[in-house]
Amino acid sequence: MWMSIQLNEYSAEPLYHQIEVQLRALIVSGQLKEGTLLPSIREMAQHLKCSVITIRRVYQDLEAEGLIVTRQGTGTFVAKVDPVERSRHRLEPVIAAMREAVAAGLRVRCSDEELRELFENALREARENRSPRGDGVNRTAEGENEG
Amino acid sequence: MNGSGCGTPGIRMTGVSFRQSHFRLGPIDLEVPAGFVTAIVGPNSSGKSTTFRLLMDLMKPDEGSIEVLGCKIGGGKRVDLLRRIGYLPEEPYIYDNVLRAMDKAEFHRQWYPGWDVNRYRELLGLFEVDHSLRLDKMSKGMRRKFDLALTLSHHPELLLLDEPSSGLDPISWRAMIDLLHRYMESGDRTILIATHIVEEVKRLADYIVFMTSGKVLGMYEKDELLTGWHQFYFSGGLGEWRGELSEMPGLVALEDAGGVVRAVTSRARDAEAWLAARELSPAGRKAMELDDILAALVERQKRLRHQGTKGVMQ
Repeated sequence: MWMSIQLNEYSAEPLYHQIEVQLRALIVSGQLKEGTLLPSIREMAQHLKCSVITIRRVYQDLEAEGLIVTRQGTGTFVAKVDPVERSRHRLEPVIAAMREAVAAGLRVRCSDEELRELFENALREARENRSPRGDGVNRTAEGENEG
Repeated sequence: MNGSGCGTPGIRMTGVSFRQSHFRLGPIDLEVPAGFVTAIVGPNSSGKSTTFRLLMDLMKPDEGSIEVLGCKIGGGKRVDLLRRIGYLPEEPYIYDNVLRAMDKAEFHRQWYPGWDVNRYRELLGLFEVDHSLRLDKMSKGMRRKFDLALTLSHHPELLLLDEPSSGLDPISWRAMIDLLHRYMESGDRTILIATHIVEEVKRLADYIVFMTSGKVLGMYEKDELLTGWHQFYFSGGLGEWRGELSEMPGLVALEDAGGVVRAVTSRARDAEAWLAARELSPAGRKAMELDDILAALVERQKRLRHQGTKGVMQ
């Protein structure tokens, strides 16, 4: 599951931050379950083609947040996430994105009414565009190279 | 065990210089941290191989001191130290040519109490090396793989690899990268690798040391370096932009690139914020590859030498 972490090497955003955000999201969303063994620092660095310095920092930060635990000699595991924490973490990026959208609207002097309408429209669009109920497997196709 | 604690450098070079009739190395001050992979990157004849030979005590520096794994070089106990190191020179020894690979291994093992025959067999298997062949009958790549296997078979604490991948096919190359990562897994080992293959640095290194013309241009943490160095493009001529951009954070180079101005910064995020605060919008931007960064550093070095010390840029 951690293999799904993807880095944008062309961004000026520090790699440790990019990795941290994604790994945190995987843990608080429950996609990485409690007790899951994470790769060693060196393995993770190899996989993401970054340095162990970066990964060590990510692991230290997430450990300080209580999201992962390192047991000497056995490895690093996903910790139990407190449900309150989980919902807070889950909504955090959404709240930030909402604020961002509202600020963009206010910059071009949208009225509250307009903003609500834009929100409703965007929501409706998203619901409508969602693929019809499939087999329940949410698998994204890997990029295939075509000659 | 060597008892080296956290933070002890694997290698420390202090004021090291070495003169030859056609080449001068140094003065070099360099600390290679233990527990990490450090890549020395530089153009041909920048002094990488000479540095390795100095570290191995194969040549004596004219000035300065060298410590490897906490031991002073040139201060006796040489054999004990060499047993803790795995050194892969740039070129194979021609004197070995007439030997069969297995005979060379037989000779080699006598020098290393830590020799592990199972490890040796495992590595031959991994690289698909036939050690019954004479060394000069091997292809360049197979000989490289054999030498690499020898280098690793006594469980060295420090690996000095001088362009290890020359002659390797892509499959063997991958195997080597993976092998070196696994070698580092225990966390207390150190690799110093000279290479000019960008992809190798990206996949392996934690730190990068740039060298050119016998001098160290700087040592950087790889990820910081690669996310920090960006180039911004501005439409127009150098004349209109020079004044405005000369204070851009981390500015390393500012030049006319044919109708656009190219500004290279080593602090992309600061530069980004700085541009936004001034409502300057670049026409484009790009992260830089390692070779671009090396080129920019070499260029800056030349410029500084011309200007003396005035006009120092960050």
